[in-house]
Amino acid sequence: MSGEQQNISRHTLMWLLITNIAILSPLYQQITLWTLAICAICIFWRIGIYLGKVAKPPKWLVTALAIASAATLAMIAKQIGILNAMVNLLILGYALKYIEMRNRRDVQAVVLVGYFLIAFTFIHHQSLLSTLHLLIVTIINSCVLISLFHDKANFINTAKLGSKILLQSLPLALILFLVLPRLAPLWMVPPQNKAQTGLSDSVRFGDINELTRSSALAFRATFSGAAPTNEQLYWRAIVMEDYDGKSWQQNPRISSQQAIEPQTANMTPAATVNHLPALNSRTLRQFDYSIIAEPSYQRWLFGLDVANTQERDIRLLADFSLLADRPIEQKRLYQVSSLEHIMEPKISREVASTNLALPQTSNPKTRALAQRFALEYAEPKARLNAMMAYFTEQPYYYTLRPPKVGEQQIDDFLITNKAGFCVHYASAFAFMARVTGIPARLVTGYQGGELNSTAGYYSIYQYMAHAWVEVWLADEGWVRFDPTAMIAPERVEQGFDAFFDPQTSYLIDNPFSSLALRDNPFLNNVRMRLASVDYFWSTWVLGFNEQKQQRVLKEILGNVTQTKVIIFIIISLTVIGLAIAYSAGIIQFSRSTDKHLNAYYTVCNMLAKRGLARAHHEGPQAYNLRVSQSFPSIDADFTKLTQYFIALKYQNMDAKRVKRFSRLLIKQSRWLKIKILKQRLALNNATT
Amino acid sequence: MQKHGDKLTRQTLTVGWNKWLSRRLPASKQVTLSHKSIFILPSGFGLAWLVLVVLLFLLGTNYQNNLIMALSLLLLSVFNTCIIYSYKNLSGLTLTSKQQTGYFAGSPIYYPIQLSSKQQAVEIQCQFKGQPLHTLKTVTAQASQLLVTVNNPHRGVNRPGRLKIESRYPLGLCRAWSQVDLDLSQLVFAKPINDPNPIRFISKPGDDPQTSGKYVTGVDEFKGLKEYQTGEPLKQIAWKQWAQGRGMLTKEFEQPQGSPMWLTLDENSHDIELALSHLAWQTEQLTAHNQVFGLTLSGHSIPPNHGQKHRMQVQTQLALFPRKTLLKAHQ
Repeated sequence: MSGEQQNISRHTLMWLLITNIAILSPLYQQITLWTLAICAICIFWRIGIYLGKVAKPPKWLVTALAIASAATLAMIAKQIGILNAMVNLLILGYALKYIEMRNRRDVQAVVLVGYFLIAFTFIHHQSLLSTLHLLIVTIINSCVLISLFHDKANFINTAKLGSKILLQSLPLALILFLVLPRLAPLWMVPPQNKAQTGLSDSVRFGDINELTRSSALAFRATFSGAAPTNEQLYWRAIVMEDYDGKSWQQNPRISSQQAIEPQTANMTPAATVNHLPALNSRTLRQFDYSIIAEPSYQRWLFGLDVANTQERDIRLLADFSLLADRPIEQKRLYQVSSLEHIMEPKISREVASTNLALPQTSNPKTRALAQRFALEYAEPKARLNAMMAYFTEQPYYYTLRPPKVGEQQIDDFLITNKAGFCVHYASAFAFMARVTGIPARLVTGYQGGELNSTAGYYSIYQYMAHAWVEVWLADEGWVRFDPTAMIAPERVEQGFDAFFDPQTSYLIDNPFSSLALRDNPFLNNVRMRLASVDYFWSTWVLGFNEQKQQRVLKEILGNVTQTKVIIFIIISLTVIGLAIAYSAGIIQFSRSTDKHLNAYYTVCNMLAKRGLARAHHEGPQAYNLRVSQSFPSIDADFTKLTQYFIALKYQNMDAKRVKRFSRLLIKQSRWLKIKILKQRLALNNATT
Repeated sequence: MQKHGDKLTRQTLTVGWNKWLSRRLPASKQVTLSHKSIFILPSGFGLAWLVLVVLLFLLGTNYQNNLIMALSLLLLSVFNTCIIYSYKNLSGLTLTSKQQTGYFAGSPIYYPIQLSSKQQAVEIQCQFKGQPLHTLKTVTAQASQLLVTVNNPHRGVNRPGRLKIESRYPLGLCRAWSQVDLDLSQLVFAKPINDPNPIRFISKPGDDPQTSGKYVTGVDEFKGLKEYQTGEPLKQIAWKQWAQGRGMLTKEFEQPQGSPMWLTLDENSHDIELALSHLAWQTEQLTAHNQVFGLTLSGHSIPPNHGQKHRMQVQTQLALFPRKTLLKAHQ
């Protein structure tokens, strides 16, 4: 098209400059250093061109740069992850095209790539604020297209029109968002190479300690019914059964299950739980809750006790932990229901031996201590209770800064130092239980939660990470024992904050975290309110899934049927279309202001259809003459109409007479219309 | 066979489309665009935009990212909004044709079109089929005139056909267009080509073609008044004017030199067009030298005369001479 060969105006160039910076700046996390360097060069070059200081770069230079950067990216793709490499490639293309732009088509290509980059930004930034920010960036990007047409228009005009178009498009987008079916991922996308956060799949002494220094959010939970008390909030994440004297690790039995492709996995959540016999002696308690997990780039998810979920892509493993099919790369909402079931009333010999295995000749002092418990208490439950009590009887101290331990780490902790935190106590307890022949394993997860009373949800932060022990007892299955609760009961009953001073734990590294506002009641209130806005955003927008969609549609439409949805879309499309058309000035609701003219013209138009059109210059009287000749049947009526019309239009009359004539004219017009219509019908009948 | 069939169906389609168009948008000297006359389809960029929407939706689905999906749906909705805006840009645009005549074949001819719009319209493109594109940056209620070009017109009556009016405002996603028939036609004269041969004319032998038919001072026709110079015959003095006190003036008379010339067409010439071009050139030459001449063209003749009006008559006659190719096509 010859229109596209036009040069790019300065107005457009300025918009492009703004867009470029607006789109690239939120991607700072993904941009590699040298991509950034090339972008900077491109932007400065473009500014130079804009100011008329530099010439456009020759084509070969741009091509050479493009090839070189693509090659470099291909080389480091493994290192930074395929997704990041893709984003960087797009950014480079964006920047290079930007200086090489010559015509309209180039500008349009740059804008389309710009939208893509905005979409990629959404993968990492999903808060309400980022969304508003990126909406503005989207508007700016669209303004570039408008500026192509607004050569001389000023900046404000273009910005106004761009915002207007985008904002007017929001309602329809919202309705489509509500209605369009949610699909499962069509193919696997490359995982992101991002540092994992939160719990790790092996635990050493000191690992959890690092987490207690983090004030980052781990996940949030909302209970649909009654919520458990704080001391019941043991969010299980990873179960570790192998202890080698240094660290706890998952048993290969479980970790091999993780590697199974979701399609072939024989462990479907429903099947597992249905096999569990209910605990007959107790009434079953069930908790239904939803969890919004923050991105951890790991597959672990969280649940209370025996957690079950119907999500397609979350599996329940043999150790009753939840595992997502893909690493959690963005906020993830899932529904869980927890039952107080017996966890595995019978275990195989293999599992039992796994949970009894101990490294040979390690920690002799602890072994000796455990043997004494075994001698004293023959009944396993009594023995375990005695071990728990031991921690309170002896001067054990709960601290986030435990003294160093040596080769026999449990001995050093249990006998010598007597100071440590959850991992130390849990390890020691599990070790002692195994020594006395009771299967025991270490569970890591989170304990507690901060209740936001405005929105009614629990926030679980990284510093709430915890480790405890599950012991297998015949007929009771795996039972939870938390030795930490013996030393620091407040830690479990009221939460982490009741026991530790934030300033020395999770605020040490993040003095500006919003959690620091907790001391000030007013600021804390503000923090809680902002947090609940973010919570609703996460639940209703980021976590808007099939179930939520069904719920909302049911609210609006009652019974959701396909026809109803289609009618709903059509109606909203029409209403929105009309509203936009009205605001654009296409439709005016006020009809032709002169009803007299209307009454006269409608009759004239009907006659025009019969082949006698009134010419533009033709006066009413002249037209009347022609009508009388052509249609003698309506001659008298039309003459009357013409007279009323002329009188109203050209004579000076008082208000009363105007009213009378006006009524007469409209009546006459109506009468004539019917008459002409009748005649036409009669004519039609005659011809057919 | 297949190809021929395709061509035939395409031809019938085009004919049908044109028929439908002429019924929907009949020819008129003034046209105001409305819902009846505006067509909207996505432009190439608009299609690319829709592909982007689909890609973003897939990206959002695969990452299960609602915000990316929302962005994709927002862009889809923007497309919908742009349809309305592009309609608004053309609707209410009034086009009026202004008549203008007198162009020679070979050089481009221009059709003056007046555009106005109640609401401001932005970047309106006008074009005759296969002809150069004209762009008006803004059209307001105040009429602005555009000269729409037709390149290389042929001799005869030029009918440029429907004028295509197009706009891609505001985002370039939609192509809103209309094809209005402003009932335009213009006479295109034969292109004057210098005739190296002496002028073909019918007159008395011995007359010089360079001077024959040229007006010289004579007695036949009144030419005008001029200042009296001593020695001029008294019977030529304009006494009436003298009586009115306007001074001594003499009446001047002129008469054609020799007998008038007749331009003729050699109908057996193998290149009728060239012959006509030569005649056109001769007409221009004779008029420039103020010579009297007539034209006989396939039995039709224009009596000898001179001046601009005569020139137009002759050129019109030459322009309207049936084209041989057309004749052939009709046979």
